[in-house]
Amino acid sequence: MDYTRREFLRGAAGVSIAGSYVTGAALASKAESGGSRSDKSGNILVVVQLSGGNDGLNTVVPYGDDEYARNRPTLRLPQDQLHKIDSYIGFHPRMESFMRLYKAGHLSIVQGVGSPNPDQSHENAMRMRHTADTEDLYRQRGWLGRAVDNEYPAGRVDAPAVFVGPIARPFALNAGSVIVPSIRSSGDMVAVQIPGQTGAASEKRTAGGDESLPDFVRQCRAKAYANSKRIEAALAGASGSADYPAAKLAGDLRTAAQLIRAEVGIRIFFVEIGGGGIGGFDNHANQKGNHCSLVGQLSESIAAFVGDLRRDKLLDRVLLMTFTEFGRTVKENGRRGTGHGIAGPAFLVGGAVSGGLCGRHPSLTDLQNGSLKMGIDFRRVYATVLDGWLGIESQAVLDKRYEPLDFLDT
Amino acid sequence: MGAKDASREEAAHIAALEDLQDPGWAWSEYKPSVSAPWDLARVGHLYRRAGFGANWAQLQEALSQGPGPTIDKLLQPQGDLQAFEREYAVYEGSAMSVNDLRAWWVRRMIQTPHPLLEKMTLFWHGHFAINGENVKNTGAMLQYVRALRGEALGSFRSMLNSVCRDPAVLLGVGSGASRKSMPNDNFAGAMLESFTVGPAVCSQTDVSEAARAFTGWFVLRGKVRYIEREHDGGVKRILGQSGNFTGEDVVRIVLEQDAAARAIVTKLYKYFISEGQEPDAKLIAPLAESFAGDYNILKVVETMLRSNIFFSQAAYRGRIKCPVDFALGIVNAFEGMVSTTHLAEDIAALGQDLYHPPTIRGWPGGRGWISSATMAGRSNLAWSLLGGSKPYGERLDPWAVAQKHGASSLESAAEFLVGLLLGDDAADGDCETLIKTVQAAGGAKPQEQLRRFAYRITSLAEYNLC
Repeated sequence: MDYTRREFLRGAAGVSIAGSYVTGAALASKAESGGSRSDKSGNILVVVQLSGGNDGLNTVVPYGDDEYARNRPTLRLPQDQLHKIDSYIGFHPRMESFMRLYKAGHLSIVQGVGSPNPDQSHENAMRMRHTADTEDLYRQRGWLGRAVDNEYPAGRVDAPAVFVGPIARPFALNAGSVIVPSIRSSGDMVAVQIPGQTGAASEKRTAGGDESLPDFVRQCRAKAYANSKRIEAALAGASGSADYPAAKLAGDLRTAAQLIRAEVGIRIFFVEIGGGGIGGFDNHANQKGNHCSLVGQLSESIAAFVGDLRRDKLLDRVLLMTFTEFGRTVKENGRRGTGHGIAGPAFLVGGAVSGGLCGRHPSLTDLQNGSLKMGIDFRRVYATVLDGWLGIESQAVLDKRYEPLDFLDT
Repeated sequence: MGAKDASREEAAHIAALEDLQDPGWAWSEYKPSVSAPWDLARVGHLYRRAGFGANWAQLQEALSQGPGPTIDKLLQPQGDLQAFEREYAVYEGSAMSVNDLRAWWVRRMIQTPHPLLEKMTLFWHGHFAINGENVKNTGAMLQYVRALRGEALGSFRSMLNSVCRDPAVLLGVGSGASRKSMPNDNFAGAMLESFTVGPAVCSQTDVSEAARAFTGWFVLRGKVRYIEREHDGGVKRILGQSGNFTGEDVVRIVLEQDAAARAIVTKLYKYFISEGQEPDAKLIAPLAESFAGDYNILKVVETMLRSNIFFSQAAYRGRIKCPVDFALGIVNAFEGMVSTTHLAEDIAALGQDLYHPPTIRGWPGGRGWISSATMAGRSNLAWSLLGGSKPYGERLDPWAVAQKHGASSLESAAEFLVGLLLGDDAADGDCETLIKTVQAAGGAKPQEQLRRFAYRITSLAEYNLC
């Protein structure tokens, strides 16, 4: 299939749009009211990337299957320390916080998420997750980039999406017409105020109205100042004192919570755990300690984020999803580690998830290249999030319709 | 504004539009006149478009020499270009990563004796837009930008031919292997739809046939290789012509299409003159015809830079500054050098990650550069450059620069900055209000007050326009 070529064509179709910007006032009112799909337009998505390929079997542990212990002589986790979900699976001992979220109905587990065209290379597999294209590694835009391009073709006063973190912006956010900024903290979105600066736009508007370039810049600047005030208020308020662990992921999620609370128009946040490149969850040797620490950070950071949002009754507006480039081999290698695999669980967290399990746990004996087989195409998760949560037509983003999953409350 | 003023402005506006409809007037050489004087505003405009801003000495020299000699120098600078290139070849050759290259390029843009060449290299980087993330080869990315620079003001034909043999381009579009049995459409598609004639002119069949002509080309260990037995020697039909074409034939055929010259000239028009509306076909036609004759880039750029329309209201502040223009305008005006490792990263965070354009079509540009988030980011970058603290330190010192050029009081220094950064052209009363608020805040030395004032100027809409 030739997706790259179709990208050219679609990009060309988008060019004409550049000349027909919606007036600033119309944009602002769209930002306020949210346009046509008003029921979902205030919904916010937070995507958490687990870099390196998470070992799903030691995250949501199928302790009820003897094959688990048999294949993991040194890496198996003691049954009595697991946080048992049912008689078959349980969370890693360090994921007590996820267990609490699960019991509260704020966490859904999609089991056996994988790619129909699994790739053993981190780069290729991650690129496929970023582009949602399992055939063409040279697709030009990421799936979230296409989503914001489609949803905001005429531009927007507020950035619709941001990446929060110190690494290069992940390819998923690569857009053709929308600039998706990278920030490291909320402070990057607060325009510096120097003594004597009132924050109000000092310049008069020209007679031309909202369509003139100077007025467009002034309007965005005025919104930048207004947003800055709201962010500062949010920083001074509850989130300043919210209790987050010291992990980097927790800091980035705290930033997201601050910006959500400040209502600065961002609909998609993207954060990362593991450091971006190879490393992180990629444990070929002596996996146990490192993985234990990472899943602990993951579950505690996300639980802190949920607690923070819930305090301000914002949890119902926020959906968090995790993804990783691939799972890992069922059998551990001779170095107390695991190899690159295929399927693993994805987590959906928020006030609007239905909670519980989604999809069946893949078999531990019917394997593909020593790994769990895909039960659910990762794009079904994306499609459900796009249509069911963001209100962005998934078919236009993902090229075809994927059967929705039932992890969202309806 | 009174009704009378409004109608007068409207009449002037219509008159301007009528002139724009007249290609003869538009492309004639600009001569200063009472209604279009050679003033600081026009000099600043020229340096913003043909370079990355200017310092006071450059502005003054241009003012006294007039448009002709100033543009001569921008087109063919007198400095020792070769020595500069030798120096940078060593720096760039030592780069360990594409991010190192990115930092060197920003430094190059600041220090180059030939700013127009870098401005054009940036233009071509956005045209043959290869993302280093897809190439993952620092050496290949360096070679790719060097090749663009080599022909940036040269021959578009040579540039296209070199692009066909460029490992970064082939890898970047996903055409590292093009076998006889499996022609790769990616490069052929980019060549026809994005680099030259555009999708309105070529069909899917043209692309598939062109892909057959490009078979036999591979990238092996970072080098382009031609393997004869993998070339499809059969007859192809491309854009109405038939023959047992090779890649070179494809370049020849696309350049025989009027649409190719029109597309490039239109893109250059948007880059140098105005990015707002699609330019009138009549306006583009004479330049496109000439360009189709020789594909000489320098000639068309020269015509544009010297033209009436370039110095008209239709062009003036008719573009939004890209992050590079925003940041380097500050650095160049204050005659300093800062850490470009930091600066390239800050520019990337505002949406312009050099060596990593988002798609094959380059950066969307225009209003797309601006949102509430990037405006806050621009403010913060401006203050970190001008505020005198980390990470850029005190390298840029508006007060010292103003004094060097004769300012002795805060008021005269403020006036100097309005000339330097805005060409004395801001909305009525804005700068007066700004300097008053800066003074009213008090409690600081003139050096600190001027830092604040310079920062406030960069947040004006006018400074964000190019």
